[in-house]
Amino acid sequence: MSAIVAAPLLVALAGAIGCLLLRSRPRLLRGVSLLAGVGYLLATVALARAVYADGDAILVYYLSGWQAPYGITLVADRLSVIFIGLTAIVSLAALWVSIKTIDASGQRISYHALYQFMVVGITGSFLTADIFNLFVWFEVMLMASYVLVVFHSGPEQTRAGMQYVVLNLLGSAVMLLAIGGLYATTGTLNMADIARRLAEPAAYGIAPGPVLGLTGLLLCVFALKAGLVPFQFWVPGAYQAAPPPVTAMLAGVVKKVGIYAIIRLYFSVFAVASIPDAGGLAVVAGKPFLVVFGGVILVMALLSILLGGIGAAGRNNLDALLAYSSISQVGFIVLPLAVAATTLPGDSLFRAGVLATIVYAIIHGFAKGVLFLVSGAIEDHVGTLEFSQLGGISEQAPVLSGAFFVGGLTLIGIPPLFGFFGKLLVFKVGVDAQNTIGWIAVGATLIGAILTITYVTRAWERAFWGPPNEFVEELTASPSVVAVIAGLAIIIIALGIGFQPVYELANGATSAVIDTDAYVRAVLGPESAHAIGGGLR
Amino acid sequence: MSSSNQTTVIVRTVVRSVVPIIILVAIGLLLQGHNFPGGGFIGGVLTVTAFALVYITYGAEYLSQYLLGLTDGSVARRETQDVLDPDTAFFSGTVGRYSAVFGIGLALAVGGGLGAVAFGEPFLSQAVLYFDHIPVFGVIELASALVFDLGVYFVVVGSLLTILAVVGNE
Repeated sequence: MSAIVAAPLLVALAGAIGCLLLRSRPRLLRGVSLLAGVGYLLATVALARAVYADGDAILVYYLSGWQAPYGITLVADRLSVIFIGLTAIVSLAALWVSIKTIDASGQRISYHALYQFMVVGITGSFLTADIFNLFVWFEVMLMASYVLVVFHSGPEQTRAGMQYVVLNLLGSAVMLLAIGGLYATTGTLNMADIARRLAEPAAYGIAPGPVLGLTGLLLCVFALKAGLVPFQFWVPGAYQAAPPPVTAMLAGVVKKVGIYAIIRLYFSVFAVASIPDAGGLAVVAGKPFLVVFGGVILVMALLSILLGGIGAAGRNNLDALLAYSSISQVGFIVLPLAVAATTLPGDSLFRAGVLATIVYAIIHGFAKGVLFLVSGAIEDHVGTLEFSQLGGISEQAPVLSGAFFVGGLTLIGIPPLFGFFGKLLVFKVGVDAQNTIGWIAVGATLIGAILTITYVTRAWERAFWGPPNEFVEELTASPSVVAVIAGLAIIIIALGIGFQPVYELANGATSAVIDTDAYVRAVLGPESAHAIGGGLR
Repeated sequence: MSSSNQTTVIVRTVVRSVVPIIILVAIGLLLQGHNFPGGGFIGGVLTVTAFALVYITYGAEYLSQYLLGLTDGSVARRETQDVLDPDTAFFSGTVGRYSAVFGIGLALAVGGGLGAVAFGEPFLSQAVLYFDHIPVFGVIELASALVFDLGVYFVVVGSLLTILAVVGNE
């Protein structure tokens, strides 16, 4: 039990409160916000060191000293840490850009406090080991993001914000319903306890049928947060309406909370459960839950890749193009999960699938962070992102364009950039599967990759090449903003060239996902998990 | 305010006698909240109910200036600046004061939780002290959870008053 688990959460929370209290002192306010961002990064580094100190530690923290499963438990394992690390880097970069580009009175009124609260919500979601608490952190994150999306409060923003708020409120209501139902059927809210009970449903008097239905309902909510088709409606509007650094956070990090929840819950906690023999569906009887979820995720991933890709290729606005691209890329992120779901957690294909998803999620976080920050810098100075008004940016702002180029190429997957390895792993999972679903995945990935090349090329050609027009000649972004964006781009290049450590980290995270047994033992105590060990694998 | 807009004597008299009772009940609920029905949230809501009654019967000026004592000359200055700079009104005016309350409340709640960390206990851990043989009361129970409740109380009071003031100004 170590307090370091709560450190990133508490740093962000303290930052949020500091920003609330210091609103009348603008300089101090910005300083505190920045300090919180840097502190968050340091706390994350300390947490990562603690987790990796013994190689594969699962750090458990019982809030107020209430033992699991009765109290709220925070857990930092290798999976949470890798996502918190992504949050720390992208949020710090976006924070700096916010300080430089958001108008001063907006920063004073509420921006920094809301931004920090959003980071609090994201961190809490990555750390919690309690599904009701997960709901609470989702709400903290969403409440802050609602206001941030409509921050410019023009008619366009209000319309998009309305859509975003209504859809997400609906999602939250459904999430609460599903969690309430899970509590009623399994008798617990602690993730480890749920896993323990679902591994031996008869011993705890649990009917797996209703649990399957309720977890399916919950999956819809996570798909909504991740912006997967058919729950993607809010994405383009919200991304165009939000201030650019917020969009970078929404696309880069907030979406990953949905991905994280899917990995954590469906590929670790609920993965131990099997569908009961009773009932009409003899095909899936006795199979693990994942068979059903895999099918659902596959359909959502395929539709996302195609609809997002085609949508992006047809946009005439850089932000809209990137928003649709984001839908498509999230499809790429979850596609390997669908392939992994065809096997059992012990299988090597399962490991490869989860690994590919984690790697791709990290890549997407960085790439979309860079791309949206570049588009934000362009919009701030040129005043529009319509392709008809743009052109020749590469001549006017070579460094920004270089960063966009790197971000775009990493989405396409050109070696030696980070994105290449993501695409490689996704393809490899499909090919290694050697079954129909695998080949479907490979086909979708190919089409998706071609669409990605199409829209990235289009964005590059329409906005960045050619002679600069009179609007673009206004483009003189602040050097520190350019430096931060370039820094993120350099991280993408560096992570691609030095991919081995990233692979090791993601591999460790994958082990943490697969070893539900260790997770349960760490949270509930050493003798609690024999059921799972003897059960599925 | 013309006499036709003014609330009736009955309402003013009732509010005058009811408000102290509401505040007393609210504080009672706040203090017993850690192990009886009550707590910071309900205590805060009740307190704001009392303020809202005063606000409706006596007006916003009376509430902010005479009852809460938010008049120290800055209000008068604010009136002139209001027209020029809406931000200034937001930060140094009544709304600013109200919204500072919930920041302080939040700081109190989290600070109470961090206090436990300083003692080497997990975040948000609580303790209780009993004082025996107190005249009249017998045993007095001092729970650290009160700090958290107090924080929640201020968050609720501050945010509801902010909403009241902002919406009231529309």
